[in-house]
Amino acid sequence: MAERKGISGYLFTAAIFIALEVAALAMLRNASEVQNNWISRGADSFNACVWGSWEKVRGYFGLRRVNDSLAVENFRLRQQLARLDSSLYMPEDLSIVGSFHSIPARIVRHSSNSQHNVLLLDRGGIDNVIAGSGVVSEKGVVGIIDAVSEHYAHVLSFCNSSTVVSARVGRNGAVGQMRWDGISSTGAVLSEIPPYEGMMPGDTVFTSGFSSIFPADIPLGLTGESKLVNGATLVIKVRLFEDIRRLRYVTIVSNNDRAEIENLLNEEGQ
Amino acid sequence: MKVQGNNIMLWLLLLILQLVICNYLYISPLLVLTLLPTIIFCLPATLPTVWAMLIAFAAGAFVDLLGDGLIGLNALAAVPVALVRRMLLASIFGSDTVERGESISIYKNGFFRIAGALGIVISLFLAIYLFADNAGTRSFWFNLLRFVVSFPPSLLVGLLSFNVLNPKEKR
Repeated sequence: MAERKGISGYLFTAAIFIALEVAALAMLRNASEVQNNWISRGADSFNACVWGSWEKVRGYFGLRRVNDSLAVENFRLRQQLARLDSSLYMPEDLSIVGSFHSIPARIVRHSSNSQHNVLLLDRGGIDNVIAGSGVVSEKGVVGIIDAVSEHYAHVLSFCNSSTVVSARVGRNGAVGQMRWDGISSTGAVLSEIPPYEGMMPGDTVFTSGFSSIFPADIPLGLTGESKLVNGATLVIKVRLFEDIRRLRYVTIVSNNDRAEIENLLNEEGQ
Repeated sequence: MKVQGNNIMLWLLLLILQLVICNYLYISPLLVLTLLPTIIFCLPATLPTVWAMLIAFAAGAFVDLLGDGLIGLNALAAVPVALVRRMLLASIFGSDTVERGESISIYKNGFFRIAGALGIVISLFLAIYLFADNAGTRSFWFNLLRFVVSFPPSLLVGLLSFNVLNPKEKR
């Protein structure tokens, strides 16, 4: 009778050991009510431990699904809030808010190490996404869609030297051009602000709504130091609220009247 | 430990002695006098662990079924002794002794090594036995008291039984 060697031998021995102990416990359980209760309590604790651990593992692997559903719910609630805000505080702007429609999306690819960073979203032409639409989060502007395939959208990130956003200091302040500072993912520069405009460090910067890409009054960041350039305009450092590198979920915003606005501008140009 | 001619008979007789102890020897409710761990420890060293566990289970169940007490209690405590037996023999007496199945005796291997090995298996057996016997109805200190009362006599009869199964052999 040779002893089995290796892992299979240990497993076989362990299996026999467990089987014999379980058999002994079964005999003991039938022998006395006290032992029956004791073994039942032990078995219940063991089951609770095993199933609790299993549920933890399942919960961990189900987080992605939960996260997706929370993002959709969050989007829906934000839409509701925006509608309520519009009806309560800005009835005159209701038509402007209403001219944008929104689509929730997830970032599936992200570059953040170059001066020309791009994003890839999991929404495309099949979801009515069109090139030229804006991409926003609840804390700022994320980028502008420059190409759309059937299922994906290619986005020029705000952290891209070619992306410019029309922004305003405060809700009624001066409007200028805001672009990425090229250094930090939360740094931007707001330029073309007239020097006579009253501006304090710490003022909030919003989207102006003057472009047909982004709705007005999306908070973008806080102003920092300013510098007079050529004695004519101010260049202001802005600390963005949103760190684009950490984003997973975004909202695509499309202006329903964009084609009409562009046609009008083109006719004007001709 | 080689299987000698009359060893099987002695082994069975000790098992019956354990049965007699269970049924007729009432000294104190605190005392558990047991020969089973020694009987299992004295199985041939070359016997595979799986077979030793099956024999231990059968021996424990035999004592349980025919003795006064809870059915399954001795079987429950005996199987772990069989599980650690070869490992214990190898660590105390050397793996060569186990592989070659060399005989082990008090005179050849020394009293303290044998007593130490028996002490470990008896402790393991008693710990499981007392834990399952009280089934959470008594405190840890009561269990410890029973263990302290039961261990010395069990070790004593264990050493005597070991000497019967593994008689005097010169170094």
